[in-house]
Amino acid sequence: MKGRKVAVVGMGGVFPDCKDLLDFEQKLFSNQSLIRSWDKPLSYGKQVRSSVAGYITEAEVNLEPVTSSLVEGYPESYIDLLNRIPDRNLATADIGSIWAMLSSIDAIKMAGWNNSEVESEQTGVVVGSGSCGNEIQRIAWHNFFELGKKTRTVGAHTVDRGMVYREAANVSCLIKNRGVCEAMGSACATGLGNIGYAYRLISFGLQDRIVAGGSEGTALETFLGFDGMQVLSRGFEPHQSSRPFDKDRNGFVCSFGTGIVCLEAYDIAKARGANILGVIDSYFNNSDGDGDMFAPSFSGQKRLWKGLLNDTSLRTDVVKVHGTSTPTGDAVELLSVVDTLGDKGFQIAAPKSQFGHMLGAAGAVEFITAILMLKRQEVLPCLNSDNLNPELETFQTVDSWSGPKEPLLYYRDLLKQEVFSKEINSVACLNYGFGGTNSAMLVSKDN
Amino acid sequence: MERKEIIDGLVEILQTVRTIDQEKLKDIKEETDFIADLKTPSTEMINIAAKAEQKFDLEFDDDDIDDLGSKVRDFVDLIIKTKANS
Repeated sequence: MKGRKVAVVGMGGVFPDCKDLLDFEQKLFSNQSLIRSWDKPLSYGKQVRSSVAGYITEAEVNLEPVTSSLVEGYPESYIDLLNRIPDRNLATADIGSIWAMLSSIDAIKMAGWNNSEVESEQTGVVVGSGSCGNEIQRIAWHNFFELGKKTRTVGAHTVDRGMVYREAANVSCLIKNRGVCEAMGSACATGLGNIGYAYRLISFGLQDRIVAGGSEGTALETFLGFDGMQVLSRGFEPHQSSRPFDKDRNGFVCSFGTGIVCLEAYDIAKARGANILGVIDSYFNNSDGDGDMFAPSFSGQKRLWKGLLNDTSLRTDVVKVHGTSTPTGDAVELLSVVDTLGDKGFQIAAPKSQFGHMLGAAGAVEFITAILMLKRQEVLPCLNSDNLNPELETFQTVDSWSGPKEPLLYYRDLLKQEVFSKEINSVACLNYGFGGTNSAMLVSKDN
Repeated sequence: MERKEIIDGLVEILQTVRTIDQEKLKDIKEETDFIADLKTPSTEMINIAAKAEQKFDLEFDDDDIDDLGSKVRDFVDLIIKTKANS
């Protein structure tokens, strides 16, 4: 089904150990890691297995929590020390929603939309979160269940600060758009899934412009859930902890952040003279269909590529992989990529090697890195992919395996460990999530 | 407890509610309406009531909170009534 062309006209975000988008860009393209040792899990000693993360403190975003006098440790609201967001909007927002609002302000400013355009019935907000943990809910429930306090002691904002589409709702209340306001949820594919859904709404003519993306606010509760699953990286220095494709990788680095982009019907953006950062050529998503909640699926990813390229002449110069640094996930992903595209003519970028896995924000923040690669004509690296497995993966040795018969080391040339220059006309973005969900988007330069 | 003392205590609570225009607290009277005059979001009323319970060391009856009006006078009356019954 051929719809309208969709342009990317603005972007903004909140990133670990970065002041702003420009700082994020400069650090990424100088091969830096944004991963640090985190004092919060460390304070729990041996209760917690891992201690590195891409965390962001309130102070780093110029926010100050207002602690309730009724509930110990409960941030009943926040003070924006730079006066970017009105108190009325801060009162209904958890930290991830505040980041989404800040990022939306920056993205809309970059897009150059005026108030009439922002407040239009043709303007939507589609922003989601992985919502794996929430400090506000934990403290509120503890106050009720463990301390026996009345429900009213936590005030009236546990629902609006905890509901599944809280980021979208808070952004919408801030910018006062009159179009759709929704959140897609697909675990670690959420960020790209929201941008993909927004793309479809515009492409199919239902909206003209959308603020879209994903947000995952810093929450120790989120980190602890994955720590309990034993899936987080440990045993490396912080900057070496996220090592997609390296044979010694042992888990992902839990990170937090927000990525927001402004999408607009291409013809409308072009007519008003907008600076077009990229054009979305295709979006496709599917499910593995094998009944497995966690394991990646080679056949599911192969079908993803088929749907993305849709038998057209679309091609890609860079594949921005999901690349989490988990043992099985990276191997299956690399093999599905080369089985589709071959082993030459493109490069692989693995931005999680630099900032970890931002969960529900990952796909959106990594989409922003794709736009930055298009802008700079530089490919982001696969940091720490020092040694690739020279042996076949176990799953490659079984009779039923239908994919490539080469070990990961064979594809060394696709995985550079430093930023390098290259002509980039298009980037394919891949993200997957628990439940066997897969998302892919192709974005290109405006020609 | 004097009504003036209760109002002063309420103002101290309102000074912690960031969604209320602090300038308007300078001229607060018993007839002042939290919602109409102070532009307090209705969702903040329960937060103010809970903080009043803490400040004046009492616990309102749930029915009384359901029936509570939005004027300063209503809060003062409820605090005096609850104190008397405790």
